[in-house]
Amino acid sequence: MTPLHFEAAYGGMWEAFAEQLALAHQGKRVDGALLAARYRQVCEHLALAQSRAYPTHVVGRLESLAQDAHQLIYRRQDYGLVALGRLLRVQLPQAVRAQGRYVGLAFVLFTLPLLLALLLAWLTPDFALRVMDAAQLRNFETMYGDDRESVGRLREAATDWQMFGHYIFNNIGIGFRCFGAGILAGVGSAFVLLFNGLQIGVVAGHLQRAGLGHNFWPFVATHSAFELTGIVLSGAAGMRMGLGWLAPGRRTRVEALKLAAGEAVPLVYAAFFLLLVAAGFEAFWSSAAWVAPWVKFLVAGLCWAMVLMWLCLTGRGSRHAG
Amino acid sequence: MQRAVPVQRIDTLAQVETPEGIVLSLRPAGLVSRTMAFLLDLFFRLLINIVLALVLGALGRMGGGLVLIGMFAVEWIYPIVFELTRAGATPGKKALGLRVVMDTGLPVTPAASVTRNLLRVADFLPLGYTFGIITLLLNRECKRLGDLAAGTLVVYAEPVVLHDQPPATPSLAPARPLNQQEQAAIRSWAGRAKRLTPERFEELALLAAPVLPPLSPDEPRRSPSERLLGVAQWLMGKRS
Repeated sequence: MTPLHFEAAYGGMWEAFAEQLALAHQGKRVDGALLAARYRQVCEHLALAQSRAYPTHVVGRLESLAQDAHQLIYRRQDYGLVALGRLLRVQLPQAVRAQGRYVGLAFVLFTLPLLLALLLAWLTPDFALRVMDAAQLRNFETMYGDDRESVGRLREAATDWQMFGHYIFNNIGIGFRCFGAGILAGVGSAFVLLFNGLQIGVVAGHLQRAGLGHNFWPFVATHSAFELTGIVLSGAAGMRMGLGWLAPGRRTRVEALKLAAGEAVPLVYAAFFLLLVAAGFEAFWSSAAWVAPWVKFLVAGLCWAMVLMWLCLTGRGSRHAG
Repeated sequence: MQRAVPVQRIDTLAQVETPEGIVLSLRPAGLVSRTMAFLLDLFFRLLINIVLALVLGALGRMGGGLVLIGMFAVEWIYPIVFELTRAGATPGKKALGLRVVMDTGLPVTPAASVTRNLLRVADFLPLGYTFGIITLLLNRECKRLGDLAAGTLVVYAEPVVLHDQPPATPSLAPARPLNQQEQAAIRSWAGRAKRLTPERFEELALLAAPVLPPLSPDEPRRSPSERLLGVAQWLMGKRS
């Protein structure tokens, strides 16, 4: 068969296929079975044209057709609430448990400095001042002070919304950065974890020492269930990625990095979800001054239990079916 | 033909084999076009932020909160959402004819898009995307750190067309049988008739002069390039 024969015999089909692809790209309905059949044929023609060294314009035409169709046919379309539900109920908790070692590592890197700083700031007079400067500490003292203007007192709904936006922009941004910085051999994530642990611990310890614990603890108890877990998970995701290529095992470093990033992404999803919930609680619930502290502690206990149950128990026993 | 990747490639084409057993060539986009796309996106994002601030800012404190949520979305969600659309590209990339694909040539997956866009944090370090630019210049597929981790490529969406149908001339049988490589060379030379200068076209034709048949007395006078075009037509299957 000569190139001229080849083009004459199949050119009509290629044209029809191109038209069908253009329609599909505009989002119109096309006959899927026909499209797939034509796609297979075009692939076959492309392979033939390449192996017989047909003229470049023919090969180029077939190649761009095949490439176009390839993008269209393999496009993912399984988005939706069902998939999202499955992600939250099964895939995320499973992924977190599968990365248990990294979650544990991130937990230690975050909790250890937090507890140490809390104890030191609480029990020694000058530790807090070694970590943060006096102006910052005074700022926190006024925030959790007993006068009406501060956080944790009565305020308008509009302010709640303002704070909600602030928490989303700020806290989720920190979570994402904590993950992204992990590619630097995990150092970035470790730094964010240590730094935040230290800072939170110092503030908590200092406020307790200053006698403002009765304002501080009811405020943070509930949303910390989501926020602290979220930070630990995003840190764990970053560590997974960074340590993945640092110790690649039997893979090349790039391959190991790809694999590690793929395994870390569900943790980022989980962290994003938790931080989103945390922002909601922090803006609309934690600040509600009309709720008695014992109610807040009760709800906080429930939330902590829920988060831990979600991560430890949900999705056990269901396989990757479907 | 076994399309083994030659040892010393002179172009940056990334060749990927698909499950259908064919090889597709992807053209990775380089630093300049990607920077332009980024700057365009930056402009669009700024515009969205300004509009958000003007519209929602009028709503007082609640509006302020909504503006911050909007800014969060513009900073983090904007590239992910646009890359997962049919075009596979943010508006800036689309304007420059780029799209994001997996390095298997498939459309980008949500997880990969999330990875490559969250890793902008690391690419940005220490200042102005320095890590990203260095990585991009160091590998031949022009990947920044985020692309390496996500396994994605930023490629040109449209193919470059350098070859057209050879111009129609009466066919001419070559002086001797030609092997496949020689046939391919003459055909691709003929395909560039409209895009090369006539002098260069002629000069290249002279290289192939040995395959031209001796002039027969009844043949009209033609230049070597016109005669070689005839051979090309003959190789395409034309017999007149």
